[in-house]
Amino acid sequence: MKTVSWIWFWYFLIGFISGGGFVSLRHYLRKKAIRLAWYEWILSFLALLFFIAMVQTFIASMVEGEPRAAWMSVVFLGVPMVLITVGTYRSVHARLKQG
Amino acid sequence: MKKRSLNLILRLIFRYKKHLISIIFFGISWSVPNKEVVVAKNKEQKKRYHSLAGRRDFMKVLGIGAMATAGNSFGTSFRGVDEMMSSPIADRNLPFWVKEVDEPTVEIDWENMEVFANPMLTLFNRSYWEKGEWEKIRDKNLATTTEKVRNKVPGYSLRDRALGDANCWGWGLSEIAPSWTGPEVKPNFNWEHPAMLYTPEDFGVPRYEGTPEENSRMLRVAGRIMGAADVGFVKLNDRAKKLLYGMVQFEKVEKGYPKPNGMKILPDKDLWVICSVIPQSLWMAQYTDRMSWAQSNTAAYSRAGIFSNRIKVFLRGLGYEHYGGGTADVGRAVGFGVLSGMAEYGRIGIMVSPQYGANIRTVILTITDLPLAETRPIDAGITNFCRTCKKCAERCPAGAISMEDEPFWGGDAPWQAKGIKGWYSDIKKCFEHVFGGDPDCSICQAVCPFSKFDRAVIHDLVRMSISSTPALNRILRKLDDIFGYGTPRTGEVWDIDPKDIPLFGLDTSRS
Repeated sequence: MKTVSWIWFWYFLIGFISGGGFVSLRHYLRKKAIRLAWYEWILSFLALLFFIAMVQTFIASMVEGEPRAAWMSVVFLGVPMVLITVGTYRSVHARLKQG
Repeated sequence: MKKRSLNLILRLIFRYKKHLISIIFFGISWSVPNKEVVVAKNKEQKKRYHSLAGRRDFMKVLGIGAMATAGNSFGTSFRGVDEMMSSPIADRNLPFWVKEVDEPTVEIDWENMEVFANPMLTLFNRSYWEKGEWEKIRDKNLATTTEKVRNKVPGYSLRDRALGDANCWGWGLSEIAPSWTGPEVKPNFNWEHPAMLYTPEDFGVPRYEGTPEENSRMLRVAGRIMGAADVGFVKLNDRAKKLLYGMVQFEKVEKGYPKPNGMKILPDKDLWVICSVIPQSLWMAQYTDRMSWAQSNTAAYSRAGIFSNRIKVFLRGLGYEHYGGGTADVGRAVGFGVLSGMAEYGRIGIMVSPQYGANIRTVILTITDLPLAETRPIDAGITNFCRTCKKCAERCPAGAISMEDEPFWGGDAPWQAKGIKGWYSDIKKCFEHVFGGDPDCSICQAVCPFSKFDRAVIHDLVRMSISSTPALNRILRKLDDIFGYGTPRTGEVWDIDPKDIPLFGLDTSRS
């Protein structure tokens, strides 16, 4: 069997993690009665986009036989994702602290 | 109720998540990377494989990691699998549900097995048939074919028949010599066809008729089936005629013909040039020069030769004229390729396409009187990108490619032609390198930032940026280096899992 035919699994996993993550986040926010501001939703969506782009580029670059490109994509797409996620978290946290 | 079920499922997943992950990863590692476990035992080899097959490596890293996870979860119960993977039999990498067995699944009586004398003793030999029986079947075949062609039965019409004949080229037609005006037909009284290559006259029908748009679309479809990555069309007007070689002349004649002195004569009437793009394997071009020559370049030329004959047989089957041949028969491949919008002109002096980058081996030019809708030149920001990029020139081992920022009017050497503002290469240096040492060289084509596989979406984003925001070109070129693109693959092609080699060397993602 060609390895490449297993790609579906990784893309399925991205969907599973993204979808599951979104549902869990919504569930968590409701449970804790936390309301996100509109810009925090946009930032969260942006972080998700970066995450999907990073995983897709990583997998695809490995399949293309470009391991350096794969790891670079983690740096160039993963770092903004982390920064946006941390920024969003801090924003929510600060707002909740203020009451 | 639904909520409760979901909660239960989630709770189960969370409780047994470690085991679930182990099962998933184990399943993958068991079914995919057999050889790699053997490889992992040999550090030196492991390193070598690491630098070779990206796809395999990726799964190997995940697979071995998964094996460790699985081992932690399940203890030593999978030692047997590990042993199986170490087996040389496993090297073939069959899917996990396919077993290798000692005997075929069909029962064979080796004691009484007869030796079959030769292939001429099959039913293709008419002497095995009663008198007149063979002819009866053949005539029935002809009558049915003719009736369907005449009635334009979908799937059996003239163009379907012509495509079938075209793809027959290379199978059973070796005695028919291809010529500038297409293959000459000899009667071929084999089983199915009295002559392998039909014309509309054989069926008693007029030639195929369609609007120029319909004809162009038909040729694009047929082109892909016969072996062209993309097909464009140029009307032979006064401008385009300047891209034909000087040895091609026009006369008031019914049909074109070659002269004994080497001149080629075309009829002075409405003609179109079909420009068929033949890409080469980027995958192989990324290896050494020799490997590039051994597979990427030569294989593409072979495919080009077969395609050239196929398209002529196809046009002949539709009832139209067809002139052309290999890569150097009627005119300038790059010129027509650019004019037909198959690519832009690049720094190397060859075509650079948005889909295939510089990794195009040739453009087969076929001249026909089948009316076609022209395709127009394209602008994807490629020529402009070449101004700042220069990666091909920097990496050219012969230093043959121009490093000038701006294109210039050149063509002063006898082996060049004036009229294009481009980057004229020092082709003598290129030839000295290519033919004075390693056979051929595709480095400039392989390192071009447009020569990419297209699995990663990021390539499309980069191409979009180059097309719409040239201000970022310099940064994108830097990123191309940082990401490690254009780095030659190391190691031996012979060590790769055969299943990781694209069939015919063509890149599965783009062919």
